[in-house]
Amino acid sequence: MKAPAFARNSIALSGAIIVGLYLAIVVVSFFWLPFDPVKMDSDHSLEAPSIASGHLCGTDEYGRDILSRIMKGTFVSLVISLSATAMGAVIGVTMGVWAGFLGGRWDHWLMRAADVLFSFPSLLLAIFVMAVLGEKTWNVVVAIGIVYIPQFARISRGAILVVKTNEFVRAARSNGAGSGFILFRHLLPNILVPIIVQVSLSLSVAILLESSLSFLGLGVQPPEPSWGNMLSAARNVMVIAPWTAVYPGLAIVFLVLGFNLLGDGLRDLLDPRLKNIR
Amino acid sequence: MTEDYVLKVEGLATHFSSAGGLVKAVDGVSFELRRGEILGIVGESGSGKSVTNLSILGLVQCPPGKIAGGRVLYRERDLLGAPEEELRALRGKDISMIFQDPLTSLNPVIKIGRQISEAIRLHHGLGRREAAAKAVEMLALIGIPDPERRAGDYPHQFSGGMRQRVMIAMALSCDPEILIADEPTTALDVTIQAQILDLIRNLSSRSKTAVILVTHDLGVVAGMCEEVCVMYAGRIVERASVDDLFYDPLHPYTRGLLASIPRAERAPEEGGNPDRLYSIPGSPPSLVDMPDACPFHPRCPRAMDICRRAQPPETSVAGLTPRTVRCWLHSGEGVDAG
Amino acid sequence: MGRYIAKRLLSLVPVLFGVSIIVFFLVRLIPGSALQMYLGTQVEATPQQMVELKRIFGEDKPVPVLYVEWLGRLLRGDFGYSLRTGRPVLPDILARLPISLELTALALVLALAIGIPQGILASLQRNPIGDVANRMLGLLGLSLPQFWLAALMVLLFSGFRGWIPMGNYVRFFAHPLENLRMMILPSLAIGVGLAAVIMRYTRNSMLEVMQMDYIRTAKAKGLKRRSVILRHALKNAILPVITVAGFNTGYLIGGAIVIEEVFALPGMGRLALYAIYQRDYPLIQGIVLFIAAIFVLVNLATDLIYAVVDPRIRLDEPGRRA
Repeated sequence: MKAPAFARNSIALSGAIIVGLYLAIVVVSFFWLPFDPVKMDSDHSLEAPSIASGHLCGTDEYGRDILSRIMKGTFVSLVISLSATAMGAVIGVTMGVWAGFLGGRWDHWLMRAADVLFSFPSLLLAIFVMAVLGEKTWNVVVAIGIVYIPQFARISRGAILVVKTNEFVRAARSNGAGSGFILFRHLLPNILVPIIVQVSLSLSVAILLESSLSFLGLGVQPPEPSWGNMLSAARNVMVIAPWTAVYPGLAIVFLVLGFNLLGDGLRDLLDPRLKNIR
Repeated sequence: MTEDYVLKVEGLATHFSSAGGLVKAVDGVSFELRRGEILGIVGESGSGKSVTNLSILGLVQCPPGKIAGGRVLYRERDLLGAPEEELRALRGKDISMIFQDPLTSLNPVIKIGRQISEAIRLHHGLGRREAAAKAVEMLALIGIPDPERRAGDYPHQFSGGMRQRVMIAMALSCDPEILIADEPTTALDVTIQAQILDLIRNLSSRSKTAVILVTHDLGVVAGMCEEVCVMYAGRIVERASVDDLFYDPLHPYTRGLLASIPRAERAPEEGGNPDRLYSIPGSPPSLVDMPDACPFHPRCPRAMDICRRAQPPETSVAGLTPRTVRCWLHSGEGVDAG
Repeated sequence: MGRYIAKRLLSLVPVLFGVSIIVFFLVRLIPGSALQMYLGTQVEATPQQMVELKRIFGEDKPVPVLYVEWLGRLLRGDFGYSLRTGRPVLPDILARLPISLELTALALVLALAIGIPQGILASLQRNPIGDVANRMLGLLGLSLPQFWLAALMVLLFSGFRGWIPMGNYVRFFAHPLENLRMMILPSLAIGVGLAAVIMRYTRNSMLEVMQMDYIRTAKAKGLKRRSVILRHALKNAILPVITVAGFNTGYLIGGAIVIEEVFALPGMGRLALYAIYQRDYPLIQGIVLFIAAIFVLVNLATDLIYAVVDPRIRLDEPGRRA
């Protein structure tokens, strides 16, 4: 079974490498950036990328080095993505486990609430929440977090339900195990896998949501650089200076790809059922 | 050996590569099938009987499987080497197969009538209407009431017994020369079993279709078959007419199987207790990396030293019809192997 | 079957209720009272005018009462009036509906047309390296931001007349071919992500289905490979893909909002954005509610389509056994 194992590992591995690279960039960006990302320098505005000038990705219309801005934006994007996912996961999983474990009316109403949230397309909901909370950078965490709550709720509830009806739970009960014991020893470990997979996929979508919001002016506010708002600013000038749009976009693509690869690879490694499909 | 043989299997070997090692699921199987005959293949799960069938029709997944040797002669052609298009032309038309579980073996989203008629359209080139009419005919033949309406139904609307009848109708719709029935009654109620077996027997004798009936149930064999092969660990350990097999079993495994049939009054078998049900001690061997020895010897009450050291060859023995057995008891060293 | 539909429609009601509550109450939380914005800092109003204005802007009654009144008007088709333009909200939304509908529908069609065949091909891939490459490619498709794709399209295609909408949108019924030509690329930008998702689900579903016993039976009947794959396997494999596609239309709707902004297309999404930028809260309410309602209906439709297509669910009458 050499080939399949290699396939699984290479996907998760390449994802981990890419994400690791971005994390390294964040760390580096605290100590060193090629140029000052916020200082405007109209003498050098809209310069094409060149190794000679040191502007590897060119400059924007205010003469700011794009690569430095990309690097600085990494931090914001990663932090927002992680926080929003964490928020959605914590609240959502709590809701879902509660609903699944307690059943009955709790289940009914909690899932109704989740259904209502599910009725909004994700981006629309995030935009709407941003409109309500105000266009401040850190409100993005709340907006995306709210989008994620029902997703985590549904997944964890589903996982709990599957395990709850398993024979071994009934066996444990008949041996006198109390609810708390069952919850922690039997149920929670089994829902870890789908949640871990969902977390890595949510991280990737969060980057896309955040950059879309920033692109629309409803996310990270300038002058704080975010890949999304860099692209928005680039719209006016990109026809004559394509690098202003291409590079920030590529930054988004590769980070999202990294999280996707990681999530997909993890799902393969952790989900025993999929091992048979080869 | 110049009789009317419609299929001749010689030394068929099918191996699987698995995580644990090489599995010789079928390890040198030979038998012949006469025109219109019902041949039984008996064995436990894992004895290789199903794989034998799949190998004949080239339906084994390769990889991880691999046809490791032998020949399957049908109409002067070796099916094992034949190209896929040739095999496809045969399947369903000249050699048909029905499977064990009728619930999962029928496509749940395609109407029954269509599932029957598609083979007819493919192999006989009939148009849609004519093939559909023929399908309705087949449904009536197998005893489904109101066949025209039922042809528009889906598999989940039929009971288990009816579904198996449909499988049989599908398989016989093109009048094949050979029908391979892989445990057709195992998943059915006992009361339905008899009906299905009757159906197979009637339909096949009508069109002179030869049948390979694979089962683990000796009772089925007794009622249906003329010739029987007993398989163990991928090999045929005994081959005989049904009368010879039941009245004069030679291989210890066969004797064990027969002794295991619960009977109201019995004679003690090999020193066993007449008041207890007999079962062959031990369990079937793992087929991974089998040593070169008789595979049954760990459980055999009459094992000898040579049984541990070498595989017994297939030996011809006297009988009502040509019979063979693979046992050192009947082919001692020095005796010419057949 | 009819009962199933009725039951599902009924279950929509509480959900839509919940949606309307959320929309209404959250909009009231938006900072910046609309009345204040209307007045600005220059205009002064007499106390009588203030009373009148307060009534118009709905600031004279407690919120729950306002909600009930709003709901009542909603059910009669009165979505309120835009604060910016003074025009009734609903007709404006409906006027822009066709464009968004076309974008989203086209994106869905493209996603299915690309994703399903790719998925089938990927499932037939025996070479493990080719398989990994396929999966990585699929994940790449998922990673492309829609607005970035749109920007790339503008960069690459702005030279070719008629392939990019640049403020020259023509209606479909007026000029079908031109319309399609300029809508294809934007729809593609929206749908690529979904195509990747569909490809992956189709591949996995096909792989599962091909292991089934009935496929073995089909092969044993001597059916040609293409028949086995397309007629026997695909019919079964496609069912979960339909639901996935349907439930992911939210992604398409979100994408349409962004794409309409990039290409300046006069659709609902763009209207929603401007309503938000301008704090036009009756408009915000109306549009968000409208889009959410459409999304809910689409989800219901997906459920129903699945039920219709899968004969096991469709014919759930018991007792038809021989």
